[in-house]
Amino acid sequence: MNRRQGWLFFLIFLLTFSIYLLLNYPLQLGLDLKGGSQLTLQLIKEEGRVTKDELEAVNSVIDRRVNNLGVSESNLQTLGSDQLILELPGEQNPLVASRILGKTALLEFRIQKEGTSTDLQKLQFQRMNIKDLIEEYTNIKNNNKGEVLLNTFEDSIYDIEQKLNYSSNSDDLYGKLIEIKKFVDNEITNLFIKTDLSGKDLVNAGRRQEQTNSNWEVLLTFSNAGGEKFAEITKSIAGTNQLLAIILDGESISEASVGAQFANTGITGGSATISGNFSAENARELEVQLKGGSLPLPIEIVESNTIGALLGSNNIFKSLYAAVSGLIFVGLFMIINYRILGLVSVLSLILYGFFNLALYSLIPVTLTLPGISGLILSIGMAVDANILIFERIREELYDGNTLIRSIDSGFQRANSSIVDGHITTLVSCFVLFLLGTNFVKGFAATLGIGVVISLFTSLNCSKTILRFFTTYQSLRQKNLYLPRENLSN
Amino acid sequence: MKLFNLELIKNKGVIIGLSTFLMIFSLIGILYSTFYSSYKKPINLGMDFVGGNELRIERICQEECSDVSPDSILENLRVVSKNKNLTNNVKLQLQNNNKLLSIRTPFLSIDESNNLISNFEETIGPLNYDSKNSRLIGPKLGKRLLINCVTSLLVSLAAISLYITIRFDKKYALFALLALFHDLLIVFGIFSWLGIIFSVEVNSLFAVSLLTIAGYSVNDTVVIFDRIRENLRIRKEGYNETIELSVNESFRRTTFTSITTLIPLITLIFFGSYSLFWFSISLSIGIIIGSYSSIFLAPSLLLKD
Repeated sequence: MNRRQGWLFFLIFLLTFSIYLLLNYPLQLGLDLKGGSQLTLQLIKEEGRVTKDELEAVNSVIDRRVNNLGVSESNLQTLGSDQLILELPGEQNPLVASRILGKTALLEFRIQKEGTSTDLQKLQFQRMNIKDLIEEYTNIKNNNKGEVLLNTFEDSIYDIEQKLNYSSNSDDLYGKLIEIKKFVDNEITNLFIKTDLSGKDLVNAGRRQEQTNSNWEVLLTFSNAGGEKFAEITKSIAGTNQLLAIILDGESISEASVGAQFANTGITGGSATISGNFSAENARELEVQLKGGSLPLPIEIVESNTIGALLGSNNIFKSLYAAVSGLIFVGLFMIINYRILGLVSVLSLILYGFFNLALYSLIPVTLTLPGISGLILSIGMAVDANILIFERIREELYDGNTLIRSIDSGFQRANSSIVDGHITTLVSCFVLFLLGTNFVKGFAATLGIGVVISLFTSLNCSKTILRFFTTYQSLRQKNLYLPRENLSN
Repeated sequence: MKLFNLELIKNKGVIIGLSTFLMIFSLIGILYSTFYSSYKKPINLGMDFVGGNELRIERICQEECSDVSPDSILENLRVVSKNKNLTNNVKLQLQNNNKLLSIRTPFLSIDESNNLISNFEETIGPLNYDSKNSRLIGPKLGKRLLINCVTSLLVSLAAISLYITIRFDKKYALFALLALFHDLLIVFGIFSWLGIIFSVEVNSLFAVSLLTIAGYSVNDTVVIFDRIRENLRIRKEGYNETIELSVNESFRRTTFTSITTLIPLITLIFFGSYSLFWFSISLSIGIIIGSYSSIFLAPSLLLKD
């Protein structure tokens, strides 16, 4: 068996292997092709840069929260030095995820300062008023009931402001409400003193429906040390009029008194419940957040991209149309202009397509819309190498050389131009891949892979196929390699 | 052998004149866009770079979809967000017989964007969530993306320049790079004009297309310069004539390559997803300009008077 046949068998082996790969390891599709949501989370640090440890810590907290949420097939990865990318496939609504992920979930246990009971009662009363007003406001807005009610609204807000001795800066009603609520929350929190018990002392969190009504409560289970701290704290205020507040992200979610019967030992058993009028949904969100632990740094969702499943499959079909029709037109153009040589390039283009896809499933490369456009564009570049070679072959033929010699020197002389051209494109791809966003990386990856493979297919595959063709006497006539208009020469 | 007969030597003035005209035309577009457009930037930056919220969704209609008054949609926005500026910067489009609704607003939170959709459902009827495409980009991230894109462009241009200077001697390298900047400037200028006249915006894919054009255009020029060098080594005729001959010898290759690259791009323009539309257009323009500069401009610059 000589070397030429060896190459041919090698190509056939590669092709079979590629098809085997594609059948057994299907291509991974990006969210823009299968539908889903992608969120970019930005870590926020007031001073200095985010360290690697902090990024890791945030990553693992988010990861735990996502897992506890029960999202299947989600994917979380870090991007650069201070961003995370979360992919939620399918129909999952990014809204729920964003609400749960965005909160720091810093849990604190605080005890009330002595002699602040009246202040607290006053604030609690106003907090209730504001909560009612906010609810009412959303109702009015949703039902478009009009401006009439809003006037009485303004009066109520003014009334609350008077009692709190506070004036809000916001110039619309909702903004005012939120601002006052923050003020009240802050005032309440300030009436309590920090203890050394916090969310770090939790080992688990759960939820259950209260027996007396339909509200939900959240169960906290402390570690051993946490349980002791909790007993200590409850012991210190048992039977007094000081309350114990559970504070989440600076907002008190529960204030409770500790009965006199706990004055000797405190509340033991290492667990506590928060019953603050939770809905099933709210209780679950808090549960997931507490289970995952608090975020060492706050995060902000800076980008979100949601694509419906139907749109995704439409995108696949559109790209497929574009790719296939592009290939067909290019093939026709090549066969018309280069005849047998054109056919060779079509065959090596088909190989090129298979090798590309096989490599995507091997690496693996997740196929996205920009990725497909990179692939389609690289078809043009792959053909370019063939054209360079064929033009050289034709020149050699016109100069009166034999077919075999023309083919050999055609490949040889086109070599340096082909390598140059591919390197300049590879340079761009490399930079794009290093510096680009996720979106851009898909393009750079497929174009780069395409360029490398095209170097192999145009130099090796085309040559092997062409050599194979020329082993047949009937395919060795020169005019099959020259355009029609030159037949008479 | 049948060769094309491009008379480069005779038409040197015309070629350089045309390129100068195109570059001045582009520069005017860029300057006009920087100082007199509403956005005051050299090019109309899209959502990727300035942040914002884009929502496309199909309506479910019995037969024909009814008209939607823009006012009712703006009213929805006012309810959803407290940002006063919001309603001033809204772009609203209804396509496919009012079936496809697309709306662009400044940045909204995920919460607000969700509320917006459910409000729409109340005012304009049911929506097909399977067809939804919503994109949200925070203004800070946008700025970062812009810096990122500009750095990638500069770094890879530097890398390509370095490669060319190592590969060729100074004169060739200089002219190849001149042709490259000519191409990029013109594509950029055309998009500045498109932004001024048709408010076409550029996003990160535009930066990608500029980079791809750079690689492509340099490649084309390198092939022709290679040919010129090869022929000069064995030259039988004068310097200028050899250059003209080399260009004519590589003319078929360069045009064919452009055509085979343009074909898939054109199929992308017609069949591809809408998000790749302007990307394919800018690549196509770049490839046409790139071929022109490789065939006509760069070799003309090599000609001796």
